[in-house]
Amino acid sequence: MARVANAAVIQNKPSGPVPSIPGHGPATRPNMVAVGTMVWLSSELMFFAALFAFYFTIRGHEPQLWAERTAQLNIPFAAANTAILVISSVWCQLGVHQAEHGKAHRSGSLFNVSSWGMREWYVLTYIFGSIFVAGQVLEYAHLVADGVTLSSDAYGSVFYLATGFHGLHVTGGLIAFLLIIGRTFTTRRYSRMQEAGAVVTSYYWHFVDVVWVALFAMIYILR
Amino acid sequence: MRAMERIGTLIGVFAFAVAAWYGIWTSSTVNGVEFVGVIGLIMGGLLGFMIAFYLWRTRIKHAEDPSDNPVGDIDDISGDYGFFSPYSWWPLWLGLSAAICFLGLAVGWWVFAIGAFFAVPALIGWTFEYWKGAHHL
Repeated sequence: MARVANAAVIQNKPSGPVPSIPGHGPATRPNMVAVGTMVWLSSELMFFAALFAFYFTIRGHEPQLWAERTAQLNIPFAAANTAILVISSVWCQLGVHQAEHGKAHRSGSLFNVSSWGMREWYVLTYIFGSIFVAGQVLEYAHLVADGVTLSSDAYGSVFYLATGFHGLHVTGGLIAFLLIIGRTFTTRRYSRMQEAGAVVTSYYWHFVDVVWVALFAMIYILR
Repeated sequence: MRAMERIGTLIGVFAFAVAAWYGIWTSSTVNGVEFVGVIGLIMGGLLGFMIAFYLWRTRIKHAEDPSDNPVGDIDDISGDYGFFSPYSWWPLWLGLSAAICFLGLAVGWWVFAIGAFFAVPALIGWTFEYWKGAHHL
């Protein structure tokens, strides 16, 4: 059967090189920026694997401390903050949808949401992302006031390292959004290169979002 | 692209299987399940699956990759692969600024602030190098 299928392909094979998309490469190949970003993100997964591993290892050794410290967590607050980050991913995807259609900015009024382009959706994503980071800072402030610090005990170290490294990733994503939004002001037409940048930033954002959902499940639900 | 997908899937399946085996194996020891290995292997498996999933999604969206065609030719994938920067000084300035920032983590936050002062223009310069100014494409 495979041979038959291949024979059909041979007949349909276009003559000469496959069409090329400027700034993208041959049409049959995925964008190299996108593939490179995915490979890098898969290695980021291993970075977070270390954070998950040390959480569970130290938790296994200190069940008493964990029972005591996790009682101090404000779970409804963290859940609301998580929801904000997850919603920001939705706005980001709507922005990508506009980027893929080559629409850099809104064509109508700011209040006409259906006319929004990539820039408006990414600004909204940025706002939600920064609310998340601000929420994290507020949560840290409350925990520090309750005596949980980076150097107070094993739980403090694990909690702040895991959520802190994630928070740094979110902050990095916010900086990336600023640069991607900034680029849309440099050209009159929205280029393929700009689109690739917007799309890979969304990959990163979704990745950091998914990692947070896993971290939230570990720290606040499983405890 | 199919071959790359299979390699990713293979890494994923193998790492998941070994994670299960390792978990069962270490659960019978005095200290119980050893989490570093189990989590490392599970997420190593996700690493493979993530790349395989991405390549699969990309393959079904694109025209057939000549590497999946048994009678495809090398020159079928010739063409413009994108833009590659010939050289740039910006990464050097960004790297030096980052070094000052990291030094700041050891010495004090005031050193970090000095590093950030240099890092911001370096990052913006690098990102906008081909978007504004003499090298504008």
